[in-house]
Amino acid sequence: MIKKQLILKDPLKFLNSSQKQIAATGGFGAVIARPGVGKTAFLVQIALRAMLTGKKVLHISVQDPVDKVNLWYIELFQKITASFPPDQQAGLWEELLTRRFIMTFETESFSFEKLQHRVTELKTQNVFVPDMIIIDGLTIDAAMYPKLNRLKSFAGENAINFWFSVGRHDREACDILDVADEFGDDFNVLFNQILWMVPEKTRILVKQYADRQTDEGDRPLVCLDPSTMLVQEENSISPE
Amino acid sequence: MNTDIQKVRNIGISAHIDSGKTTLTERILFMTRRIHRIHEVRGKDGVGATMDSMELEKERGITIASAATYCQWGDHEVNIIDTPGHVDFTIEVERALRVLDGAILVLCAVGGVQSQSITVDQQMKRYRVPCIAFVNKCDRSGADPFRVIAQLREKLHHNAVALQIPIGQEAGFEGVIDLISMKAVYFDGDYGDAVRIEAIPADLLDLAREKRDILIDAASIFSDELTDAVLEETEISERMLLAAVRTGTLKREITPVLMGSAYKNKGIQTLLDAVTRFLPSPMDVSNIAMDIDDPEKQIILSGKADDPLVALAFKLEDGHYGQLSYIRLYQGMLKKGDVAVNMRNRQKIKVGRIVRMHADQMEDVERISAGYIGAFFGIDCSSGDTFAAPGLNLSMTSMFVPEPVISLAIKPVNLQSEKNMTKALSRFTKEDPTFRAFTNEETNETIISGMGELHLEIYLERMKREYQSDIISGEPRVAYRETISARSEFDYTHKKQTGGSGQYGRISGYLEPAPDQDFIFENKVTGGSIPTQFIPACEKGFKACLEKGPYMKYPVTGIKIVINDGASHTVDSSDIAFQAAARGSFQQGYVKASPILLEPIMKVVVETPGEFQGNVMGSMNQRRGIIIGAHDVGYTTVIEARVPLAEMFGYATVLRSLTQGKAQFTMEFDAYKQVPKSVLDKLREKEEKKIKTGT
Repeated sequence: MIKKQLILKDPLKFLNSSQKQIAATGGFGAVIARPGVGKTAFLVQIALRAMLTGKKVLHISVQDPVDKVNLWYIELFQKITASFPPDQQAGLWEELLTRRFIMTFETESFSFEKLQHRVTELKTQNVFVPDMIIIDGLTIDAAMYPKLNRLKSFAGENAINFWFSVGRHDREACDILDVADEFGDDFNVLFNQILWMVPEKTRILVKQYADRQTDEGDRPLVCLDPSTMLVQEENSISPE
Repeated sequence: MNTDIQKVRNIGISAHIDSGKTTLTERILFMTRRIHRIHEVRGKDGVGATMDSMELEKERGITIASAATYCQWGDHEVNIIDTPGHVDFTIEVERALRVLDGAILVLCAVGGVQSQSITVDQQMKRYRVPCIAFVNKCDRSGADPFRVIAQLREKLHHNAVALQIPIGQEAGFEGVIDLISMKAVYFDGDYGDAVRIEAIPADLLDLAREKRDILIDAASIFSDELTDAVLEETEISERMLLAAVRTGTLKREITPVLMGSAYKNKGIQTLLDAVTRFLPSPMDVSNIAMDIDDPEKQIILSGKADDPLVALAFKLEDGHYGQLSYIRLYQGMLKKGDVAVNMRNRQKIKVGRIVRMHADQMEDVERISAGYIGAFFGIDCSSGDTFAAPGLNLSMTSMFVPEPVISLAIKPVNLQSEKNMTKALSRFTKEDPTFRAFTNEETNETIISGMGELHLEIYLERMKREYQSDIISGEPRVAYRETISARSEFDYTHKKQTGGSGQYGRISGYLEPAPDQDFIFENKVTGGSIPTQFIPACEKGFKACLEKGPYMKYPVTGIKIVINDGASHTVDSSDIAFQAAARGSFQQGYVKASPILLEPIMKVVVETPGEFQGNVMGSMNQRRGIIIGAHDVGYTTVIEARVPLAEMFGYATVLRSLTQGKAQFTMEFDAYKQVPKSVLDKLREKEEKKIKTGT
């Protein structure tokens, strides 16, 4: 009951349709914003919504401990389900827990090879077979192209959908065009879905970047309420 | 005996399993000349470490019961409580912390902040025990004290600051640089007992300066004098820095970190200096007692020797001369021949022999005064009892005791064993509140229950060895519980009016789930349809049903019973009739309230070398475990999972064979959760088989 209602009201539904296509080929998604805007909160919601539809999510965090990541999930889950009775919430949470796996690494010990190895191991041991992998806290730049490309073929072979948080830790401002410039022409090829978070006074807009040439990126897809970090429902988007 | 209370330190040594805290204690006793030979925990000489006095402890190389011992360092007197590291013995750790004023948190330079360190740290927080950290095993390969400091900050949120830096890495570890005096300290001689102080080696000077600046920066918050000196760029004296670090440590706002290797006898003396310099004396901490009649009221104890006595028995031991009770005095003085009152049962006792302990050897003393730890003989009490001067009405804060999660049926083989077993059980239950023993009246079996497999195993061994009691033990059993998951109504009439004195009672009302509660009974009967004098009988009747639920015959919890109507008969209604009506009502309502079975889920943390992590996760998965996450820390992986206790029997052996003995795990109770259907069916089958074969 609770699950149906949550899926029906899913503000991130738009991802599902496109996701289905890219998941088959092992698609990459990127969430871009400067530090502190709310990439983790947004990614955790993408994960939670996917888990609701039965997908298994492996959450990789390079910097935060397991407990902290878990706390993000608990908090956002509670906010999303706040209007439902506590016993239904608890039941659903138990169910979702079986579809989530958190793996954390210390920055220096992380590598994509290690990650692939771990995922394969989880699969062979039949412990956890992820449909989606979220990689948060890793500095991703153009120099990683070859590695990311290898990872992408791995994603394709295993039908895993990847989401990355792409932050600019060195800079206060983060302009999507700068990032796109840095990555060059392959930006759109590597990442099948590029979302870009822009904080405004009372809300955080999530825009889609399609191509440098088009204006499509200016229309926000969804927005986040900065006080709860929750993704708002579609109809709430109106010009400020 | 030292009479200056300012120079007394009551400290504990807490740590993760195998961080080497017993070895460290052993070295401290050696350096303070309390013992004259060093025995290794698992040494070849077969003597074992001095603190591990129980035969069993020596054999297994672990510390079970915490022994108290005292030693002298300079003009300071240090009382040390050696605390067990295994999670099954958490109660011992908690009890020890209650009587400590400060603690040394021992961390492994390779393993860093491990799961058990986190548990111990939480306990220290609960009792607000100031602590200093000692990074042990700096001589091991892969040792990195600064990584450990970073983990202290990150994982335990300590404001950890290095007071030393190591000279030499791993196998080349030679000594430490003291950042306060800016001198290099080497430990020479076979046992590292010859301290050699020299100038800092040139290649380490820059690092030492850098780390000293960090130290000064952190300490300056606690001292205006130091802040001024920093701002005015004048000479920063050793005294200033020491005072500031001490202030911060006592407030628990700074954690000084020292380094060394207990096994290689390095860094022990500097650690002892730090204990006397930074940890509090009994006068520096305030201890709080409760008023027995008004538990809300808190009384701060003066800690003065001239005030009336308040003391806490924190540990019992069975000595050669009868029961030995370890006590900590919070206020007043205890002399031979004094009279004190055990506040639990108001019994007056006369103090006979008083001793101070050094593991299992002791020294007789005339008196003990406030702030000290000692022991007395021949007084019958339980651990956790408060002793106070006649006229006082105080109790030391009651300690948190977790419910046992595992039980085991035991049977003595002959009469002599039975007698001994009874003696042993009465001793153990007094010593350890998490260990319980009772007789199952239906099967006439003796059941013991506790906090884990190892916990019970140790007690079984002790019964055999110390009490010569031969015992056959059954399979360990999980403490399942029943509860209901829906609301249901009942309306039941108990009627027996055929011949003789009749019985009549009707009760109606409803049952509903009350998560996180044991049992709530609410009386909403109006207009006297059930006369008031029978209400307690109703409650009693319901309560009796909770011991064995109608669903699977396990205790019932998390239930609320509300009665709102009923009927009575002027002659035939009685207490007995209403108790029977309550039982009937319960049966009627319970089946309709969708009963479910709950099982204890444990939080299991496994630390394993990376190459085995797949195997370990697989083993968790086979055990119905939900893996919360895995944290990769270079060579080791820490896996955290929630696993039903029922699946964890014998896991230690499984883990050993999966990982070539290189992994370790800890387990503690997390919550009660519903048993899944498939498992429930199997349990049912088993029960049915038992009944069939039994009859």
